[in-house]
Amino acid sequence: MTRIACLLLTNELQAHAALLQVALAHSPRVEDAGAGCIYLDASGLQSLFGDDARLAERLRDAAFAVGLAIRVGVAASRLGALAAARLGAGVTVVEPGGDAASLATAPLALLTLSEPLATRLSRWGLRTLGELAALPTAGLFERAGAEGVQAQRLARGEDPRPLASWRPVPAFEESVECEWGLETLEPVVERLSELATQLCGRLGARGLAADGFEWVCRLAGGCAHEGALTPAVPLTEAAAVTGLLRLALEARPPRGIVEGLTLRARPTRAGAVQESLTDPSRPSPRFLAATMNRLVALVGSDRIGAPALLDSHRPDAVGLGAYASPSPRRGEGRVRAPVLALRRLRPPAPAAVTLASGRPVAMRSSRLAGRIVAGVGPWRSSGEWWTTQPWLQDEWDVELADGTLCRLAHDGSAWHIAGIYD
Amino acid sequence: MGIPIGSSPPPGWEREGIDGLLGLFPPGRLSEIVGPRSSGASSLLLALIARITTSGTGGQVALVDGMDALDPHSAAAAGADLSALLWVRCGGHLRVALSAADLLARCPGFALVVLDLDDLGPIPASACIRLQRAVEGTGTTLIVRSERHREGSPASLVLAARRLAPQWMGLRPLTRLGGLRSEISISRSRLHSSLSPLGRGQGDGLQGEGLQGEGSWILDWTLSQ
Repeated sequence: MTRIACLLLTNELQAHAALLQVALAHSPRVEDAGAGCIYLDASGLQSLFGDDARLAERLRDAAFAVGLAIRVGVAASRLGALAAARLGAGVTVVEPGGDAASLATAPLALLTLSEPLATRLSRWGLRTLGELAALPTAGLFERAGAEGVQAQRLARGEDPRPLASWRPVPAFEESVECEWGLETLEPVVERLSELATQLCGRLGARGLAADGFEWVCRLAGGCAHEGALTPAVPLTEAAAVTGLLRLALEARPPRGIVEGLTLRARPTRAGAVQESLTDPSRPSPRFLAATMNRLVALVGSDRIGAPALLDSHRPDAVGLGAYASPSPRRGEGRVRAPVLALRRLRPPAPAAVTLASGRPVAMRSSRLAGRIVAGVGPWRSSGEWWTTQPWLQDEWDVELADGTLCRLAHDGSAWHIAGIYD
Repeated sequence: MGIPIGSSPPPGWEREGIDGLLGLFPPGRLSEIVGPRSSGASSLLLALIARITTSGTGGQVALVDGMDALDPHSAAAAGADLSALLWVRCGGHLRVALSAADLLARCPGFALVVLDLDDLGPIPASACIRLQRAVEGTGTTLIVRSERHREGSPASLVLAARRLAPQWMGLRPLTRLGGLRSEISISRSRLHSSLSPLGRGQGDGLQGEGLQGEGSWILDWTLSQ
């Protein structure tokens, strides 16, 4: 016999997480319904806590002990328990088999319905769950479809869906106190390495990886030195984490004697992909993460990544996305087309261009200079005139006397060299 | 002077030819692509990146862009898988570019590491040797693209690109730039014949050690619109 208890916070601003912990202390199966509402599986708890009324009172008292005011309803279905909690006073228990009767007077708004169905039921003049439950099922299916029938089953106290079990997110955090203060970086890294080993072991046991780390160095005098790093790929190897921590601390060492250390990991689901024996080699996450961090220190985080084409016609509209060493695509590995490459000049080089009959005949800039022997254009493009940064550009493909092919551009006020064909 | 594209022998480019050319670059060695502006050297580089990133036997490519010159639109048009390309922009700093290339050459797993210097300046011979040592014995192909070959470089293969003629569409007036015809030739090769794909008969006479100036390809690079 299924019994479900609903715990409803009287004030939704109260601590929802604390209520989840109260529920989890009484039943291993708890569903977080959000908005201050929690369901727990009360089946089989009689031998532990007594009958439903005693269990409900115990839940209310446990919540009160942590400073939460709640209402409790116990019934055979979630909707029955919710109605009992919401409409009852304090603690309400619906006897087995009494869900339909108790729901009969409850308002239809207790159901979470789609907008069209709610509108349709409202037009039919239905106000209570009992009125919905009394409709002929076949006719309801013809007019409201499967969703209507499902709503009717809930209104009749039938709830076949099992609880969506909620599990607390484990805290991946390790700390160590140092008996003697650490004055140099090396012992600090050693302690952090030990913490990283413990964390990675716990993550690995749960099939998780970490995509972020935070550390706190408690310094003598009460100050704290904090930092965080985000590896290029989720990590589970302590050696790789240690390498990254070492790099980060070398770049920004703690300013004082370290008396305690805390390392936190942000868990994420590790990709469980079986690599194929025939796949090409890829950089291992460990080496790639260390290399990426060194490259970021060298060139800056905004200058490294996978090139990405932006959804814009603006010239040179490109960005940098995260590079994560993706799995290779299966392809024939043959060149699709021999495409002439354009080498961009960033920023575009200003140029002095001489015109004859509206066409460029000579140009001079810090990068290129010479007579123009052939050229085509202008190719006009413009866009984003609806924003505060509209752009307009006339482009010319020209050949200089020395054979250089380049793209000239005129943005309405000045000429510049956009790139060189190579 | 423009050459009407209609007068050039179509198609002017043979897929087998460029596939054989791109198969020259030996893994575990340093190679060079040299050529002045508008010689087709960068187009050759993009074709190689496209081949490797879309190949079932290829993989990941790292491009150290000394001059921030990569045009991702050109790379995408050439067929490159941009998500498999790690782009490191060095902002015109030679030392930064050399350091980045050194880091990437020592990171195992990349199928191709490209150091694109263009006219950034002569690369010190010591840096070349260091890069060459970093990839020795690995499956990584290391390519340096620069304007001219430097004497004393330990490169196992040097390909020189030379501009032949631009290809304009239309007669007079010209209507648009159609592409570029260029010649890629082997300037130097220190590959043993067993390591060179040319040893399988795809080229002309590149056998043994230290042969120079033999084997060339005429390629037509078309401008993607």
